[in-house]
Amino acid sequence: MAGTKRSKRFEVLENRPVHLDGFIGEWIEVGLYAMGSPQDPKPSIRIESGKVVEMDGKVRADFSMIEQFVADYAINVKNAPEAMAKSEVEIARMLVDINVPRPECIRIFTALTPAKIARVMDSMNIVEMMMAMQKMRCRQTPANQAHVTSAKDHPVMLAADAAEATYRGFKEIETTVGVVRYAPFNALALLVGGQVGRRGTLSQDALEEAFELQVGMRGLTHYAETVSVYGTESVFVDGDDTPWSKSFLASAYASRGLKMRFTSGTGSEVQMGAAEGKSMLYLETLCVMVTKGAGVQGLQNGSISCIGVPGAVPSGIRAVAAENLITMCLDLEVASGSDQTFTHSDQRRTARTIPQLFAGTDWIFSGYSSTPNYDNMFAGSNWDIEDMDDYLALQRDFKIDGGMRPVKEEDVIAVRNKAARAIQAVFAELGFPPITDEEVEACTYANGSKDIGDRNIPEDLKAAERLMKDGITGVDIAKALAKRGFRDVAESLILMMRQRVAGDYLQTSSWVASDGTVYSAVNDPNTYAGPGTGYKMSDERWEEIKSIPWAIRAEDI
Amino acid sequence: MQINPELLEKIVAEVLAELESADGPKSAAVATAAPEKVAGVVLVEKGAAARGTDPKEIVLAISPAFGTTFKTTIIGLPLASVLRQVFAGAEEEGIHIRVIRVYHTADVAFMAHYAARISGSGIGIGILSRGTSVIHQRDLAPLSNLELFPQSPVIDLPTFRAIGKNAAKYAKGESPTPVPTNNDPMARPRYQGLAALLHNKEASFQDRSKAPQELSVSFE
Repeated sequence: MAGTKRSKRFEVLENRPVHLDGFIGEWIEVGLYAMGSPQDPKPSIRIESGKVVEMDGKVRADFSMIEQFVADYAINVKNAPEAMAKSEVEIARMLVDINVPRPECIRIFTALTPAKIARVMDSMNIVEMMMAMQKMRCRQTPANQAHVTSAKDHPVMLAADAAEATYRGFKEIETTVGVVRYAPFNALALLVGGQVGRRGTLSQDALEEAFELQVGMRGLTHYAETVSVYGTESVFVDGDDTPWSKSFLASAYASRGLKMRFTSGTGSEVQMGAAEGKSMLYLETLCVMVTKGAGVQGLQNGSISCIGVPGAVPSGIRAVAAENLITMCLDLEVASGSDQTFTHSDQRRTARTIPQLFAGTDWIFSGYSSTPNYDNMFAGSNWDIEDMDDYLALQRDFKIDGGMRPVKEEDVIAVRNKAARAIQAVFAELGFPPITDEEVEACTYANGSKDIGDRNIPEDLKAAERLMKDGITGVDIAKALAKRGFRDVAESLILMMRQRVAGDYLQTSSWVASDGTVYSAVNDPNTYAGPGTGYKMSDERWEEIKSIPWAIRAEDI
Repeated sequence: MQINPELLEKIVAEVLAELESADGPKSAAVATAAPEKVAGVVLVEKGAAARGTDPKEIVLAISPAFGTTFKTTIIGLPLASVLRQVFAGAEEEGIHIRVIRVYHTADVAFMAHYAARISGSGIGIGILSRGTSVIHQRDLAPLSNLELFPQSPVIDLPTFRAIGKNAAKYAKGESPTPVPTNNDPMARPRYQGLAALLHNKEASFQDRSKAPQELSVSFE
């Protein structure tokens, strides 16, 4: 454009944040295509003696290991002829028809092939998908998960942020690391801080899979989520994995009484250069079905860390809503992402969250950054703590339950301080590098890691290694807390360890209340069947949502 | 709908040209180290990469199209400068770097883990053309690592030098303070789509049946 006279209007538009986003055109051959690619397989099924011998135009002998797994474990062959005989539009209409109950939709969906499911989604518009989500999510009451991370992997800050996050209403919290060897300390900080903020919090450490299982078995985390599955064989193989090895890992968690879900998402295969020319949603459908076939209770999807890819192509954010919906339609818990940054535009990032937030999902965010985004070690979340009052306003504007509650500054300061002191006590008792009173003070009042000092990282890393080598478990942490005057926090840790033995929180879409009661799709099933049914906000909860502290009240004037 | 592959090739070429242009990235939060004007580098294959025994070496694995099709990282840092910085960082610690080109995978974790396994010191580095890097150790699981630099748009030349230096320190049995992690939450919105495009391009040079090749490296 150099040399030509420019329109001032266009210059203004080009300087808007949305122009910093990377938009790219579709590229069918490599699968840079959101949904409904002309290269996606056409739906078909042939069953002989109770076995799928042809699926989506491919005979059994030609199945990839993923297709074989899906055909053998994720399709109800008894119902398949009936389900596959229905047209895509017919099935899509079942989802939005209030007269078709959820269990009937599940019965049909669990008997469809991947190509058929992908096509049903492509026949729906975004509002229809939202209507379907409202009915199809498996737990009636929505909940929320937070990221709790630190650019400095600062254990005191992590404990304080974990406490604040759970106090604000996040029922699950998840961490990851800047430096991988800090991982045991991050798990420890969330374990302690999470229970300080709200007894019953589920916490996890998103890391290498073997390590995740190890800290879970040690009682340092309560669940796992970062067990990734993929839609093409080559990506699976690159990770030295198969659907069977992932199933084995899943049963390792179940055998130890630990909650877990798989993770997948549109865009991961093409991001890794191995989409084999299929659309992102078609490949994601395979992932959801692998999860179902493995017998896992739930799935985190919604593109997750690859959101920049569907976010860059046409209809990509619609595909992300569709993948969440598929998970619900297969009767799995959905942790619906809404998490990672994909845009510089405030309009785009809000709009991206509307389907999941307004319709409600099991875990609307997985997760919402409970820290400023510069501390978010999942490379930034679509919403962060600095957006929290906007979020509370949205709950209030639309009378929706987004899982969060307004809080008072003095209460947040108190829980942060208690969590910081509790982790200080644990470090002292276990002989880890000391946490000073100054660090406790700084982390109590800080917004992010820029407001606090640095730890002696090599010393912390040595101690974190010792935590693993010495076989320190959740029981040791509880003992340390009790000994140093944090008996209530110690009791919370023990309450959570008892959950492993009871096993109730292995049920689909569970969370644990402060009295130890487990809520899940079993005792809180979604009963939506049109206006006047389904989740109804209690008067108490509505009062809570209404009461944002900064609203002007008539009686005060 | 028909997509013309030639047109797409052209788009990729244009995107790459744009990245190499003097303007550099517009996003202020992203590393903006001015591309250092260094001469190029000559990479010559010398046959299959062998297991080393020298405890004073670390092995650096580069991806299939590093320095051939791709000349710069995702933010336009010349790959010759990248190599030069990593080499310099290691040399400061008295450790030398052996370079291999990996063809069988373009997954940086597996590249680096392979490098670590054939490295005399047991320490390996992996670097993708777009800049994504990892420091690995022989005894770790492939998807674990000593230090990971997952966000290619925030890796600047001083960081590459620090990666070389820290890898060398690990090779000497030290426990260095990890290279400070840059985190730009807005790198994904700007670059992930492009990263997918670049990775598909890089992956097209992958050859699952070809063993890693030893490279001689001479800076011009």
